[in-house]
Amino acid sequence: MSDVAHADGQHDVHEGTGIDNRKLGMWVFLSSEFMFFGALISNYMLFKGRDYSAFFPRGVPVILPRDLYDIPFTSVSSFVLLMSSLTMVLAHDALASGDQNRTRIWLAATGMLGSVFIGGQVFEFTEFIQQGMTISSNPAASAFFMLTGFHGAHVFLGILMLLSLYGISRRQGGLTQAQGLNVELVGLYWHFVDIIWIVIFTIVYLIR
Amino acid sequence: MAGEHALAHPTPRQYVQIAVLLAFMTVIEVALYYLEQSTDAFTGPMAAPLLILLAVMKFVIVVGWFMHLRFEKSLVSKFFTTGFVAAMVLYAAVLFALGAVALT
Repeated sequence: MSDVAHADGQHDVHEGTGIDNRKLGMWVFLSSEFMFFGALISNYMLFKGRDYSAFFPRGVPVILPRDLYDIPFTSVSSFVLLMSSLTMVLAHDALASGDQNRTRIWLAATGMLGSVFIGGQVFEFTEFIQQGMTISSNPAASAFFMLTGFHGAHVFLGILMLLSLYGISRRQGGLTQAQGLNVELVGLYWHFVDIIWIVIFTIVYLIR
Repeated sequence: MAGEHALAHPTPRQYVQIAVLLAFMTVIEVALYYLEQSTDAFTGPMAAPLLILLAVMKFVIVVGWFMHLRFEKSLVSKFFTTGFVAAMVLYAAVLFALGAVALT
């Protein structure tokens, strides 16, 4: 391990890999998240197409998630999250070029787009519950709410991290080079949440 | 971090172009979904594989360009890919074993 001291007193800690430990740690963490979301997606795939009518009294309708999907609405939500990846990478690019104002603008835009996505998910969940499908309605509904709910929780956590970066930048009048790595780490997390949604949108919503 | 990347990162304009491409691919995905509903002889069976192909392409584009994986050291790619492949193999085996997906 080597400590690299800079003139501003900041220390970049490296292992022999030549990659900052925090950055490598984030990549490993995101890699492990494939297992987490893989379990939730597999769970949904196991239960989505099953016939649950035998488990309910005759005449009681079994409402499955696929019966309630609003594809145009979810498509717009997907587009919003996709565009938030663009604003995130633009924030990172702006910081790399030393433009603190643009960095703040793109960080705020990313947080706002993420909030719109979360708002859409809350609306979708509310609609589903009002139409009679709750998390305890049947295994397919449980799997759906667990998967999309945990994804939403990840987006929410990402928004909190973005707001933190925005707040620090506002308070200090900009982010230092050392804090720039934090923008990169939050960016990696945010893009990961986006790629997970790319998979969820296709497997859960679009493929019957 | 300087000197870590062998390739130059895209410019903001190129990032926008990539985002437009991703948005266009999403439009194609939604169009395929509706084509599948039309029970056409060709688009019906072809929709699912095409949707998966498009999702994989979007996944690779975001990871490669927005997450800058293609500009990182190979060690990072190895770590990231290992987790992805391990999860794919594990859950594919589970889903095949439990009959949730079939080859035919």
